[in-house]
Amino acid sequence: MTDHSATFEAVRAGMIPAHIYNDKEIFELEKGRLFSRSWQFVAHESEIPDVGDYVVRRVLDDSFIVSRDSKGEVRAMFNMCLHRGMQVCRAEMGNASHFRCPYHGWSYRNDGRIIGLPFHQEAYGGEEGFAKKGQTLLPAPSIDSYNGLIFISLDPNAESLKDYLGDFAFYLDYYTKQSKGGLEMRGPQRWRIKANWKIGAENFAGDMYHTPQTHTSVVEIGLFREPKAEKRKDGNTYWAGNGGGTTYKLPPGSFEDSMRYVGYPDEMIERMKETWSPEQLKVIGENGFMVSAASIFPNISLVHNWPKVEEHSDEVLPFLTLRQWQPISENETEVLSWFVVDKDAPEEFKALSYKAYLMCFGSTGMFEQDDVENWVSLTNTAAGSMARRLHLNSRMGMKIDGSPVVPALGPDEFAGPGEAHVGYGEYNQRHLLERWVDYLEREPNEVDAVSIGGLVRGNVGGTTCDSPCGDATTEPTSNQEAVSR
Amino acid sequence: MTTYYPIDGGRSQLGGYASTTVRAGATLPFDDARHLQAHRWLVDETYMLDEQRYTDWLGVLTDDIHYYMPVKVTTALGSGYDTAPGMAHFDENKYSLSRRIARFATEHAWTEDPPSRLRHHLGNVRTFATENEDELVVDSAMLLFRSRGDVREAAFVSAGREDLLRRVDGRWLLARRHIAVDESVLRMQNLAIFL
Repeated sequence: MTDHSATFEAVRAGMIPAHIYNDKEIFELEKGRLFSRSWQFVAHESEIPDVGDYVVRRVLDDSFIVSRDSKGEVRAMFNMCLHRGMQVCRAEMGNASHFRCPYHGWSYRNDGRIIGLPFHQEAYGGEEGFAKKGQTLLPAPSIDSYNGLIFISLDPNAESLKDYLGDFAFYLDYYTKQSKGGLEMRGPQRWRIKANWKIGAENFAGDMYHTPQTHTSVVEIGLFREPKAEKRKDGNTYWAGNGGGTTYKLPPGSFEDSMRYVGYPDEMIERMKETWSPEQLKVIGENGFMVSAASIFPNISLVHNWPKVEEHSDEVLPFLTLRQWQPISENETEVLSWFVVDKDAPEEFKALSYKAYLMCFGSTGMFEQDDVENWVSLTNTAAGSMARRLHLNSRMGMKIDGSPVVPALGPDEFAGPGEAHVGYGEYNQRHLLERWVDYLEREPNEVDAVSIGGLVRGNVGGTTCDSPCGDATTEPTSNQEAVSR
Repeated sequence: MTTYYPIDGGRSQLGGYASTTVRAGATLPFDDARHLQAHRWLVDETYMLDEQRYTDWLGVLTDDIHYYMPVKVTTALGSGYDTAPGMAHFDENKYSLSRRIARFATEHAWTEDPPSRLRHHLGNVRTFATENEDELVVDSAMLLFRSRGDVREAAFVSAGREDLLRRVDGRWLLARRHIAVDESVLRMQNLAIFL
């Protein structure tokens, strides 16, 4: 395999070899060393509210059924029949007490347990030949959740999601915990773009510099209250734990003033005051920064913005979206984009917030359209041989000696965790790609195979059990903790 | 058991203001004057969309237009639905459509500059009377070919449409368009265009 150490060294110096945005070998490394180990978002609990509800989601090529089983536990199961490997669930969403493989009729409860194995006695000689009791569809090696966001990892030894998110959880709460009621997530809209997945993640993590140019049109048609160019520079970018994002600087005022300024009704503001910590309130109220776009390493992004959505009103209205940059190949990405709203928000707010989302983001959003145009173009150009000679300068905000153009904000100026800088800078894009190098430099994990019901006992995935296998009432013997409701 | 779930405008959170007129009876004969008028309207509109004369297009929409394209999902036979609850690609009124169109008139709508080459292929047109003589329901099939840039692969969107045409002061206008897209994952970089 090619030695990529020079590429990684350049990335760590903030000089990005352009070919990493369209390179088959790099993509293979990402598959084996990054996506097989990092935490990957699969669903929000509000997408599967009732017993039996399920959605089918992927981690690259691996399909998982994310279901709420008959006891209300959330499970993520590899969508492959234990017998001959057929996909057992071929719908994207629905409600089912069990899944039946169309090939030979093996069937599984919505917690993954085998409930039907046709001709078990005649075909295998019963339990002696094939120990089916206690066998389940392969559970996701690790599963965990935060504010109802369900993540899985293909690494059975993954650190907890809370540790993985680290201090970014502080910021994630602004998007996903506006009240005790939690979130309502709708969608996703799904579409495919001929762009490398990293570009979107980098852009949402910290690219305040692109908005005056890329997004001029939405200001010109009156979708925003003030020209964005200046507003963006006055905001800061922050990086904490495994994620970072951008903020807007708001006019001086209290927490309530700031939340009203971006269009939240008083009843929602009251609930936020009960939900968020004093430090979280202080970032908005005293420091005057409002979170906007953000990314969680590697491929989840969030947006908070507040356009005008009604014809005869100058009022703005905020919306939230969560999106996933799901890699298809080195030059194609499936975008999954959800509309996000506080479950306890008034119905009228939900409707207008949804309208704001549709106008700005997603498959038809007027912001997103122009972003993707750039990303597709960049990806195309990155495939050529000249791109192998060009290191893109991603050192904005930093002088040649590595010192910052503008010093980081002190605790009196910004109460949030991590490091924050006002002004244009590419601190966050560098952080994101440094994390990316960390993963790509590490040797891949050893993965043990799991063999089902036969003589060879696997020891990973936790679906096997010691002989004799448990009785029919055995709960799934997975090493995963199901996510409690 | 059915494999066809007509789009239910009631599932749109934003379309409550829209006309709820429904089709009545069987398809109109192809030589019926109403069918001929509706078909001609759609063909003319198709050219308008190909040529991206969007300001003209806005002029053939009623003020209460509901332009709605829910997200298609793959569901098991008999599940009773095939669109995502509460989520659409387009869920537009005349104002939001006007903003989209106004954007193209700026010099900064990069996703359409250089403009796409578009060809809307229209077919399977059938017309239904309604209880109101000034409103017709028209079904059609639409295949949109979109070519962007010089070397990029072209993209397609296939969809069925159910339109409500309304006669206002002797002119037929589009009062409602429900778009049933045939893919759950769009293989197009965005929907900056209209179907």
